[in-house]
Amino acid sequence: MLAALAAPLIAPHDPYAQDVSRRLIPPIWQAKGTWDHVLGTDKLGRDYLSRLLYGGQISLLIGISAALISGLIGTVLGLCAGYFGGWVDSVVSYIVTTRLAMPVVLVALAMAALVGGSLKVVVLVLGFLLWDRFAVVTRAATQQIRNQDFVSAARAAGLTDLRIIRQEILPNIMNALIVVATLEMAHAILLEAALSFLGLGVQPPLPSWGLMIAEGKQYMFFQPWVITIPGVALLLLVLAINLLGDGLRDITAPEARN
Amino acid sequence: MPLRTLTRAATLAATLATSLATLIAAHPALAGKADDTLVYASDSEPENVSPYHNSAREGVILARNCWDTLLYRDPKDCTYKPFLATAWTWTDDTTLDLTIREGVVFHNGDPLGPEDVAFTFNYVLTPEARTVTRQNVDWMKSVEVTGPHSVRIHLKAPFPAALEYLAGPTPIFPAAYFKKVGLDGFAKAPVGSGPYRITKVDSGRGVSMERFDRYWAESPLGKPKIGKLQFRVIPDGESRMAELMTGGVDWIWRVPSDQAEQLRAAPNITVLNSETMRVGFLQFDTLGRAKENSPLKDVRVRQAISYAIDRKAMVDNLVRGASRVMNALCFVDQFGCTDQGVTRYPYDPAKAKALLKDAGYPNGFEIDLGAYRERDYAEAVIGYLGAVGIKARLNYLRYAAFRDSLRAGKTSIGYQTWGSFSVLDVSAFDGVYFRGGEEDLTKDPKVIADLQEGDGSTDPETRKAAYAKALQRIAAEAYALPMFSYSTNYAFTSDLTFTAQPDEVPRFYAASWK
Amino acid sequence: MLAFTFRRVLVALAVALTVSVASFLLLHLSGDLATAIAGPEATGPQIAQIRQDYGLDQPLLTQFLTWGWRALHLDFGNSFYFRESVIDLLAARLPITLYLGIIALAVALFVAIPLGVVAAVKRDTWIDRTALAVSVLGQAMPSFWFGLTLILIFSVNLRWLPVSGNATWKNFVLPAVALGYYAMPAVMRLTRNGMLEVLASDYVRTARAKGLPPRKILVRHALRNAVIPVIALSAVQFGFMLGGSIVIEAVFSLQGLGQLAWESIARNDFPVVQAIVLVLAMIYIGLTLAADLLNAFLDPRLRQA
Repeated sequence: MLAALAAPLIAPHDPYAQDVSRRLIPPIWQAKGTWDHVLGTDKLGRDYLSRLLYGGQISLLIGISAALISGLIGTVLGLCAGYFGGWVDSVVSYIVTTRLAMPVVLVALAMAALVGGSLKVVVLVLGFLLWDRFAVVTRAATQQIRNQDFVSAARAAGLTDLRIIRQEILPNIMNALIVVATLEMAHAILLEAALSFLGLGVQPPLPSWGLMIAEGKQYMFFQPWVITIPGVALLLLVLAINLLGDGLRDITAPEARN
Repeated sequence: MPLRTLTRAATLAATLATSLATLIAAHPALAGKADDTLVYASDSEPENVSPYHNSAREGVILARNCWDTLLYRDPKDCTYKPFLATAWTWTDDTTLDLTIREGVVFHNGDPLGPEDVAFTFNYVLTPEARTVTRQNVDWMKSVEVTGPHSVRIHLKAPFPAALEYLAGPTPIFPAAYFKKVGLDGFAKAPVGSGPYRITKVDSGRGVSMERFDRYWAESPLGKPKIGKLQFRVIPDGESRMAELMTGGVDWIWRVPSDQAEQLRAAPNITVLNSETMRVGFLQFDTLGRAKENSPLKDVRVRQAISYAIDRKAMVDNLVRGASRVMNALCFVDQFGCTDQGVTRYPYDPAKAKALLKDAGYPNGFEIDLGAYRERDYAEAVIGYLGAVGIKARLNYLRYAAFRDSLRAGKTSIGYQTWGSFSVLDVSAFDGVYFRGGEEDLTKDPKVIADLQEGDGSTDPETRKAAYAKALQRIAAEAYALPMFSYSTNYAFTSDLTFTAQPDEVPRFYAASWK
Repeated sequence: MLAFTFRRVLVALAVALTVSVASFLLLHLSGDLATAIAGPEATGPQIAQIRQDYGLDQPLLTQFLTWGWRALHLDFGNSFYFRESVIDLLAARLPITLYLGIIALAVALFVAIPLGVVAAVKRDTWIDRTALAVSVLGQAMPSFWFGLTLILIFSVNLRWLPVSGNATWKNFVLPAVALGYYAMPAVMRLTRNGMLEVLASDYVRTARAKGLPPRKILVRHALRNAVIPVIALSAVQFGFMLGGSIVIEAVFSLQGLGQLAWESIARNDFPVVQAIVLVLAMIYIGLTLAADLLNAFLDPRLRQA
């Protein structure tokens, strides 16, 4: 992750600089590898390591921004449902059920096709699709807290609903939200990879790991590193984010571990 | 619930149940020499098997293997030979008389006669027929039966390339059968008179064919040697390759050069590289419809783009095989195609930058680039443009969507390719893109006039001169940048004897097992 | 129970209606339909004629009602690309996706339930941790990459299974594993948690005290109770799998609903996309409704919700 963030500092080459006469150089551990291109070059002779680093940056960017957008939507809905209950709760539950009934990949693909795939579109589409878990978790957590003494006390003191939500409830459900955020970040990164793989995600020449797998697919039989490297990178990144989430959950709510 | 809905629901349920049952009980597909079944795979499925109702190359393959045409172009010397027509004479510039062969039968047993010829052409000329590639037929005005074995074709205007078209994209349909089943029925159970008979059209999966036993003996195509053909739609290139390596299919094509080289080393697989008539080119939105104040309106910008791309390096390193850089917008072997006197744009990024500066874009600009085929080539072009400061964004689409977007003026630069429907005449190339039709993004009256003169004249020299003028103007104004001719890599089981032709039509009827 | 059922069915119907509005709008956002139907060579008056023939000049609400009425009668119009009726296309492709989904679910359950049980019984041992690792890996691996890797190993190198297509059951093994693996972690975690809960419950303790053999307790008492929520989850997972099979079908060239959807999107063939979104959503709504009712039937406490 750090490496991806520091990409501009440590990348040995410009990730967009192509040289078709130096294409498909194998990585260093193979017979024809060179130190000039540690992970070799891709089909257009671009340095693979540099693209991998920049690609990681883009995958992270997508994961974080999509999680932020969906977190905002989901938390607001979940807070309303959990805090006010009654018909607000019913309406929110109904919206969540409707959202769950829409096949995510299909709707995301269709939207990307209508508007035209680009980094911005992918982030927005994923952000608007992945808020369901935020809403469900926030609603449950808010319901638990709503009737506790300190909330009743705040209400008795005449605080407005908005202030109660902001000052009393939100800080108490933050931990749960962060855990969901890590999960959704991982989810968004994987979905972006799938969209790019189907050709409707991030558009070339931007590198994203999903796109790199899609491009490397052509070489999977004879130059397998082209597809293995971004695949393993993506796996490790998502694994790291998931474990981070699990770790956070263990620290913040040990009793929920089982 | 009304009866219609009930029946519809019942049919749906029945289809679901039977197809589930067949899925579970299905037998493996047969492939290879042992089963006398040649399985060939390609990426897309024609939207309609009727040859006049698709513009997919897979459709052309089916058409050439399952339907006959009036004339036959000998691939060896490019002369026209009798096929369904035994003789033909020009009565005048716009009237062509043809004698139709006796004794030919369609796959359903109906005899083929002049009524079938007249019906086919008159039908595809009607607007209701919605013929997909109009220029293949719209040079004809009407066709009439003039005797028990003869027809007369009336042309709208003199059209010297008529014979070329009658030897290619104009197959003959069985009139009685087509009238009975209509286009929808015909698409599901097509009938032709060619060497192979279509036995099953399986939506989404492919087409099964078998040798037509009553195929006429004197046909220049000869009697097919392989008993069964099967076309499988496998959209994914790697799946096609893996299928070939594991014996699931016998023949694939358009294998990227990198993979073709590796496949060459594999046992039991033969790789064949052959140049095709397909030419790649960048088509520019010169009227600036896609973008307000489009830089592409300026000829200097179009020239800068032309200088910025190292087509030779692309051919040498990326495309490889038998491909060649093209300077004129046509395929060199087409009648009327010449790059004599045509402006050339060698790779010169410095000059490109200077031209951009002159045009008022010292720091380049942003633009969209649409593509539908080899993504690598489009990406390489984007990389070259990036090197002179032009930031191009790729919009990769399926062909139909890509074509519609260009026609509607929504794409600034289109990475086009055109195979001219295998017609060896410049009219089939530049006539499509520069004669004022829907694909024409420039609508330059001078070019249109030159092309019209070339298409309408019967004197070969006048035609050549007119086409040369048009090609020179297209290049000088950089209305489009010709890239290179495509070559295709065929890969097939070593059991098979197969020869490729530059017109990108695999003749399976001429293939045989070793 | 009756009131609960009624309420749930009502919600399901409301959701179905909303989804239909959404998928109806999807088609109408995709551009001028009359031009699309007419094809690229149509002239102005022809397009106007089509606009009138198809009722595209009517107000949007009227159009929606007509469309909805037809959809209720399983009439989704014609595909722009194939020019044949959408419902025929769906009927040809849906079985493949259903078949894939069923096998994938079976694979997921056959692996996940035993793994979950063992993980619960051998809690906090290396077995538990391995099971957890396998499930975390399942969530972290891009399914298409996993599918490609399976092809590389089992089809190309070992030649055990075919690469693509849908000719025999063998063609479905690899895609089902790739799709099922993605659904496995959730089932496993639920089984494990359910087992832990049941194993700690009073009646299992009583059974143990009575001296029943552990295997019998495990199967007859514990597993039976722990598996109930898993069945409900499976219904939901099955719905997700149908929606998610688009990627797997693309990898394995399976000509199912997902592949049709993907190609139709790329061809701008929106009547087909719209119908697929609607059909998948309806299947999902039906499955969750069934799962809810089943859960409520088995566990009366839930009827209050």
